[in-house]
Amino acid sequence: MANYEPPVTDYDSIVENCTCAFCGCNCDDLDYLIKDGHVVGVRHACRLGASKIMEDMDQRLMVPMIRGEDGELAETDWDTALDKAAELIAGAIRPIFYGWSETSIETMHHGLELGELVGAVLDNQATICHGPSLQAVQNAGYPISTLGEVKNRADMCLYTGSNAMNSHPRHMARYSTFPRGYFRPRGRFDRTVVTLDPKYSDTAKMSDIWVGFEQNGDYEFYNAIRAVLKGKKLQKEFISGIPKEDVEELAEAMKNVQFGALFFGLGLTHTLSKQRNIDIAIQMVADLNSYTKWILMPMRGHFNVNGFNIFMAFETGFPYGVDFARGYQRYMNGETNTIDLLTRKECDVFMVIAADPGAHYPGGAIKHLAEIPVIQVDIHWGPSTEIADVVLPGSFVGVEVGGTSYRMDGVPIWMKKAIDKPESCRDDEWIIKELLERVKKIKAEQGALASK
Amino acid sequence: MTYVDKPAIPKVVKFDEPNAKLRNKLDVMLNTGSDIYQGACKKRGSTLKDEYRKVAGVAYMDPKDMAKLGVSNWDHVKVISDWGEVVVNAAHSRDAPHEGTIFIPKGPWANVVVSPETYCCCDPTYKGIMCTVEKTDDDVLLMADLMRAVYKKYVKDEEGIKDLATLGEMPVYKKL
Amino acid sequence: MEYVLKNGIVYDPANKVAGEKKDVMFKDGKIVDSVSADAKVLDVTDKIVMPAGIDPHAHVAGPKLVVGRIYRPEDSRKGVTHKTDVTRSESGFSIPSCPSTGYRYSRMGYGTVVEAAVPPLEAKHTHEEINSIPNLDIVPLSLFGNNWFVLQYAKQNQIEDLAAFVAAWLKIAKCYGVKIVNPCGSEAWGWGMNVHGLDDPAPYWDVTGREVVTALAKANEMLGMPHSVHVHPNDLGHPGNYPTTVSTMDALKDIEKNSTVRGQTMHLTHAQFHAYGGTSWRDADSGADHIADYVNKNDHITIDVGQVTLDETTTMTADAPMEFDLYKLSGLKWANKDVELETAAGIVPVIYSGKAPVNSLQWAIGLELFLKVNDPWKVCLTTDHPNAGPFIRYPRIISWLMSNERRQEMMDNREVHPWSHRRTSLASLEREYDFNEIATITRAGPAKIYGFQDRGALTPGYNADIAVFDINPNDIDPSRNPEAIEKGFSTAMYTIKDGEILVKDGDIVKVVKSQTLWTNVKGMEEQEKAVMERVMPDFTRYYTVKFENYQVHDKYLPNPIVTEVQAGK
Repeated sequence: MANYEPPVTDYDSIVENCTCAFCGCNCDDLDYLIKDGHVVGVRHACRLGASKIMEDMDQRLMVPMIRGEDGELAETDWDTALDKAAELIAGAIRPIFYGWSETSIETMHHGLELGELVGAVLDNQATICHGPSLQAVQNAGYPISTLGEVKNRADMCLYTGSNAMNSHPRHMARYSTFPRGYFRPRGRFDRTVVTLDPKYSDTAKMSDIWVGFEQNGDYEFYNAIRAVLKGKKLQKEFISGIPKEDVEELAEAMKNVQFGALFFGLGLTHTLSKQRNIDIAIQMVADLNSYTKWILMPMRGHFNVNGFNIFMAFETGFPYGVDFARGYQRYMNGETNTIDLLTRKECDVFMVIAADPGAHYPGGAIKHLAEIPVIQVDIHWGPSTEIADVVLPGSFVGVEVGGTSYRMDGVPIWMKKAIDKPESCRDDEWIIKELLERVKKIKAEQGALASK
Repeated sequence: MTYVDKPAIPKVVKFDEPNAKLRNKLDVMLNTGSDIYQGACKKRGSTLKDEYRKVAGVAYMDPKDMAKLGVSNWDHVKVISDWGEVVVNAAHSRDAPHEGTIFIPKGPWANVVVSPETYCCCDPTYKGIMCTVEKTDDDVLLMADLMRAVYKKYVKDEEGIKDLATLGEMPVYKKL
Repeated sequence: MEYVLKNGIVYDPANKVAGEKKDVMFKDGKIVDSVSADAKVLDVTDKIVMPAGIDPHAHVAGPKLVVGRIYRPEDSRKGVTHKTDVTRSESGFSIPSCPSTGYRYSRMGYGTVVEAAVPPLEAKHTHEEINSIPNLDIVPLSLFGNNWFVLQYAKQNQIEDLAAFVAAWLKIAKCYGVKIVNPCGSEAWGWGMNVHGLDDPAPYWDVTGREVVTALAKANEMLGMPHSVHVHPNDLGHPGNYPTTVSTMDALKDIEKNSTVRGQTMHLTHAQFHAYGGTSWRDADSGADHIADYVNKNDHITIDVGQVTLDETTTMTADAPMEFDLYKLSGLKWANKDVELETAAGIVPVIYSGKAPVNSLQWAIGLELFLKVNDPWKVCLTTDHPNAGPFIRYPRIISWLMSNERRQEMMDNREVHPWSHRRTSLASLEREYDFNEIATITRAGPAKIYGFQDRGALTPGYNADIAVFDINPNDIDPSRNPEAIEKGFSTAMYTIKDGEILVKDGDIVKVVKSQTLWTNVKGMEEQEKAVMERVMPDFTRYYTVKFENYQVHDKYLPNPIVTEVQAGK
């Protein structure tokens, strides 16, 4: 590990109760230490949150850029960059506006209006993360609760296909395992922690019970637990590599808690059975409720990935992958989602806002992005910048600009502003609104021409 | 800085593993996913840096597998799947044992070899990819170079990519 | 801008105008006595003119709704329409998207809707959705019946502290009134349990529904709130639950009313779900008589019905244990959403079918309640949207209420199962509502129940919220023409909101932003401060958000309408 570093003492002021703009935990108890208008220290945050907030200014996108004929990005002024982007969007036949999970609901409002205007597909990171979870929810139900219920009541926390210690480092500390709750005054000692994962992950290492079933063994394993819950005898000696006695023991333990919480991650959504893994997990939780109280929750990755799904659902009726090409919303999994549209080479203009497809899409999808214009609205130079044709530098929600976000359990949080943004950057909300105005203008001109 | 420039990994690759038989190529299953080093580096924004290459351009392997292949920490391996091939660092997995499985944190390197197939359910298959691993002397590319070499979006002479100068660890653009 | 609605047949029960031909005038968004000669004339000769509709209980915005929309794309796909020059595209049947909700209410001549269940922790979410609903004023009620602090105050009978707590929390959540759902039952659901009846204590807290309802009702009166406590009693949907309902009403009988703007001290919501006799669904029958009798004999109660419309819909309530029971019965996908320290919620799709005995019984019980409560000021038209059916069915319900012939026909030709008349007295009820009574149960009554002083009547000075329907009341026999009645009330000829014409001939012609009503209690600042200080350590320990981030900031109410009340007066 790195050498011990003394705490930061050289700062001008503290801003308390800031909300972390990293994962779906949306921890809202961070204190930012500010000096000369920069965050020089963060208290209470995990390694991930602190690293994001104390960003790498070397790679901060500071100026709008357009890629020239020579294939190099060149700085330009805001008007030129916005006009170029608006022109691309207005001229597109099958545009995709992807991302949104690391920006505010306020920004999404303008984005949706723009999408409805030009007939775009609006999609977010759920499409490559918890999309299958949402489908499973549509198949089998959605028994969840807010995280405080877990903190105050849960005596069993079960992590499956999720390495919380790596991707949601404060989840166990703040919500599930360690905190002292009303009915769990001793915190960790009042709870049993179980990890179901083929990998002996850092979360598994902290658990009381680790069940390391086989890779792709999720479905079979949950099915076996359901069978045991329904009083059936298991016919096989080993279930997904786990002795049947152990399965029975675990099922019995799950039945006999007072309040159980199952947290699942991408280990379920990214393996072959995809949404079916979650279907069966949901049904298992529903079954358990006949004996005692159980809830489940997807471990959402970005601080507003759930927010986009919620926002789109209340605005359009569908959570993600919403296609406005026909003048009304359509939603069809595997058809109106980004990866499918890219691998089918349907998309002709791609706008990414507050996301990094270059870092997170499979190569097969990025290959199509290499063939079409890409507009990037983000705060850091990342893999997506390497394939972007227009770059619009945004600002940091929850640090440089306020905004609404929704935690993984749906609790809405106002993320306040702590410092000013770099002068040459603009708020995401402003950028998208500007694009909307400019596209409206182009469309109006086109309409006037057509009517002549 | 508070952040290590590469993940802390144990140095216990056992070449004298009694059952290990040296092989040129291993058939393994690839999993990808988030990892705290990769996450911290990515979200800090340091994706051009060597640090990102160290935390995301890495295959975490079981020490027995490393022994079979004759690689030690930070040796380079080539991972080949049906969807592409990529050179990454080999490193001892903190989560071992998991013989026959390797883990590459999500990022541009992993993307090259994962499957874009969604099976009509929107989400690509990032886990459970069958692939092979072999030792190589090729370099692990920096992020910008990797993006250029794999996707070739702005490359005019595709044959000559190998000879191009590296894009380096800082943003490259023309200032006003 | 001045307008005259000329020669309409006006039904304005609050002003005792029942079907008179007269002009209605408005200027700058308000109803006026007279206008100048320049006023624009809207000819509505022989058309029905009423105040705009007020829905006293629906679920239109908030976390439950969004769970419904996320997990039921099959419902969203049902109502999809193309965007127009004025409106955005719509979606949904039982859980329409926010824009669709606004458009559809507006087309039916409605202007105000009560969102009946807001968990304070997620109130920001509700307000965000309210802002996305166009053309309506929304009245959010905050959930208090299972709040841990409330349970403690109720147990210790500290009414003044409770009143201060309620006053403070309404400011925090920016809500209009006090809602109670299955008091103690939703807390028990935290452990997968329920309470049975009014005197079954919540596990651990050792406080009963009776104590909670009584304490909150007393606190509500101490504050002099514009609305009474809004109660969803225990045992919803369980056969044999009417005694619980009656004893809940009776528990509040002697509480002294402290309000001049309303008549009741308790509003019983979706009474249909609480009016069952029998011991199981095998021998269930109607308990409507008992409820209606009690309401007829006591003036401290008003009800809304929660009429079953015989559609496929989505049930959603803070009564989460009931939803789990429903899931066990139907096997349809179950969603649940418990909220720390405050409440729970459950969601299950339901297919109400006229072929099903139980659904037909529920349908008949709802109608019985409408027909047996004598005073139309004491009963309101609701479907508990979307629980018993979507709000777009209100016109159909009106057609049933106005036509005995139609009701008998439905029973005779088996559009509904024979349980509808074998186990209820519906077949013997010949009463038919007239247009004035319809105006009462959809407009004037709800306005009075909520203590509105600016809407629900065509009184000069009131908001110009007006609906005109293309029905000539002197020329139609509603008894014989239920289809015409349904059609007439489905698409308003004009919907006017704050003096602006939003709907013309059934089409949305203008879209305006919604407004949000909330109650600001004054005069208890000291007590509120003291209560907040006492509450804060527990708040910090047991909630998972900081208090600073818990409150609903003013930003979430861009168009507030504040009702200020002076506590104790």
